[in-house]
Amino acid sequence: MPSLRDIRNRIGSVKSTRQITKAMKMVSAAKLRRAQDAILKTRPYAMLLEQTLGRVAARAAQAEATAHPLLAARAERRAEVVVITSDRGLAGGFNSNICRRVQRFLVESAERFEQVAVSTVGKKGREYFRARKIEVRKDFTGVQTHLTFEKAEALSREYQERYLAGEVDAVFLAYNEFKSAISQKPVVVQLLPIQTAAEADASGASIDFKYEPSRDALLADLLPRHVSMQVWRALLESAASEHGARMSSMESATKNAEEMITSLSLQYNRARQAFVTKELMEIVSGAEALK
Amino acid sequence: MALTLDIVTPERRVLSVTVDEVRAPGVLGGFGIRLNHEPFMTALEPGRLTYLEGGREHHYAVGGGFLQVADNKVIVLADTAEAAADIDVARARKTFEEAQDRLLALTEQDEGYGAESARVKRAAARLRVAGS
Repeated sequence: MPSLRDIRNRIGSVKSTRQITKAMKMVSAAKLRRAQDAILKTRPYAMLLEQTLGRVAARAAQAEATAHPLLAARAERRAEVVVITSDRGLAGGFNSNICRRVQRFLVESAERFEQVAVSTVGKKGREYFRARKIEVRKDFTGVQTHLTFEKAEALSREYQERYLAGEVDAVFLAYNEFKSAISQKPVVVQLLPIQTAAEADASGASIDFKYEPSRDALLADLLPRHVSMQVWRALLESAASEHGARMSSMESATKNAEEMITSLSLQYNRARQAFVTKELMEIVSGAEALK
Repeated sequence: MALTLDIVTPERRVLSVTVDEVRAPGVLGGFGIRLNHEPFMTALEPGRLTYLEGGREHHYAVGGGFLQVADNKVIVLADTAEAAADIDVARARKTFEEAQDRLLALTEQDEGYGAESARVKRAAARLRVAGS
């Protein structure tokens, strides 16, 4: 039976833990709002870019222009998957879910590709794969500390260059898709070669644009931006998911701490009551003995 | 029917207004757009984009991108875009000088030449627009 003082100390420590988890939950909630806002703000550009690309690509397809190298699929031998995780933990299953999803992807795609390399964004992903003796080709650090479009662009440019140089035949992005504050879905999507641009935008195809400098040149300018946009969106979705996951995990941690405090208080009161009763009994029996 | 102008960047929607005229820096030279312009799509150079509305000129610094016009809707997909009044001149000058120094150390074959030269052009465009 723990002493009264022990119980009191434990209550104190659980209370301070609760305070920390509560604060973290509130911080995450604020960050989540900002991250969600950032996702919403990219929508107009993403939509218009898709539309423009659809128009240009549809026309290009009609004219049977030689396909742009970023669009052309080729023999798939070497693939690479970029895993987006967070730098910090305490976010429930956020990081392990996506890492496990990637491991499954590696097994599934073993037949399709001769070789699949793994690269990571975020400290947690790197640690996960290192611990499992899976080689991490490149680790992109410091991307998430202050997320800017420029960083997404740098990452996407690097992969485009490697793809065009023939170092890699397919690139995938793995990240947590943001569904809601309490639900995230780990997904693996193909980044290169580009797939979506092939869908023709029927409404735009009928407009006969005059292009400057030329349609092919515009397409060559639009496609890299499309890739960057995909990377940018993945990073933003992942950031929002991370804060959502942390918020809900901190909320349940706070709830657990509260339950613990309740049960410890009960235990404390019982122990105190037992102590008081024991003392009373001793006094009474002492007084009885004096009679 | 009125001419509308929308400027969006990957980070946000910058502007959505009804205008009389738009002047923009195309890769093949500057051009203007008024009502009932033919469908047109072009890449943009980093530079000054101006729109006229009620006789007043509004200047924006755009950092490259695309412009398309169809059905009297002008849509600008810019890499960056700021109103002249929002430009941080000191920061633009610092970026300009730093990027220029780096650029001078590179040759066209070097990795990063394109990115650095784009940075110089964007900063230069900001300075030009802020000065006007």
